[in-house]
Amino acid sequence: MALSRVLAKWPESRYRLQFMLGLRDAVPALIATGTWGLVTGIAIVKSGLSETMATLMTLLVYAGSAQLTALPLIKDAVPLWLIFAAGLVVNIRFLIFGAALQPFFRHLSWPKRLGVGFFSTDIGFVLFMGRYGEAKRRPDPRHLWYFLGIIAPGWLVWNACSIVGIFLAGAIPTSWSLEFAAVLALLSVVIPLVSTRPVAFCILVAASVAWVGQPLPLRLGLAAAVVSGIAAGVISERLSKDAKRAS
Amino acid sequence: MSDGNWYVLGAILVLAVCSLLTRTGYMVFGDYLPLPEGLRRALRYAPAAALVGIIVPEVLPWQPGSLPSLDAKAVAAAIAILVYWKTRNSLYVIIGGMLAFWLIRPWWPF
Repeated sequence: MALSRVLAKWPESRYRLQFMLGLRDAVPALIATGTWGLVTGIAIVKSGLSETMATLMTLLVYAGSAQLTALPLIKDAVPLWLIFAAGLVVNIRFLIFGAALQPFFRHLSWPKRLGVGFFSTDIGFVLFMGRYGEAKRRPDPRHLWYFLGIIAPGWLVWNACSIVGIFLAGAIPTSWSLEFAAVLALLSVVIPLVSTRPVAFCILVAASVAWVGQPLPLRLGLAAAVVSGIAAGVISERLSKDAKRAS
Repeated sequence: MSDGNWYVLGAILVLAVCSLLTRTGYMVFGDYLPLPEGLRRALRYAPAAALVGIIVPEVLPWQPGSLPSLDAKAVAAAIAILVYWKTRNSLYVIIGGMLAFWLIRPWWPF
């Protein structure tokens, strides 16, 4: 049994330590996740889905921005292929994250990789790359347990808060503007990332492109912000390397 | 089940397929789609760019055809950044920003 094998390994202190380390790193982000979940749950029901459908969506899709993007499309009863295309564009970042994470987990069996992939999150990616992005030793079992320490509580908090939101939707006044707390929560994840000049440059460019590109349909402004932000980071990295070589 | 619910169920299923493809595609088939090291390094900038791409339109919204106006949210977000700079605490960013927003909003002229 997979579960008994997991439990048998659990007391091994290095796995437990890594899981707890992941959990500790994830706590501020979990507040963000919980707020977003609550707000998303409320938004799904306010857009007209039944509580059953809203719960099903939360559990099966597990992607807040794709869910929020799809709501106005569902309301307008657009063809399903357009919902599929919009979902793909919004989720394209997961493909990028998956490509960056895959070298750390390629030694696992494919069902485990499927699991790690499906339950991975933006925050899991950000924190994992922050701690182990430069790690040379692979495979290293610590990587999986640290990652699980972030994504397992993330899944629980997201779905629990979403379902609370779904069933509380009628009682929460819109005037509280809880959706802004979700934005602030994301902001609290981004600000600590600004530790080097290339990251600062990347954020500056991505912010400008996102601002200009926001009227574009299907969240293409977001896609453009990601691509140009990456380009800005890389160029700035190259320039600072060249400057070092010249001096 | 009504036709409307079947349509919603269809939408949920196509979105679930989107999640599955984008999240697990590389994780499962990555060994057959090798990524050059340069590209991999470049991808480290993706999350910061994506998060900023979500935040900016929420804080500084504008619509085609009308002049962009400064939202109370932008000022609250700026205060939240200041709070992080002073405290280095992510939780205070959320609390400080939310309190600032609730205090500013009733007085905001735009």
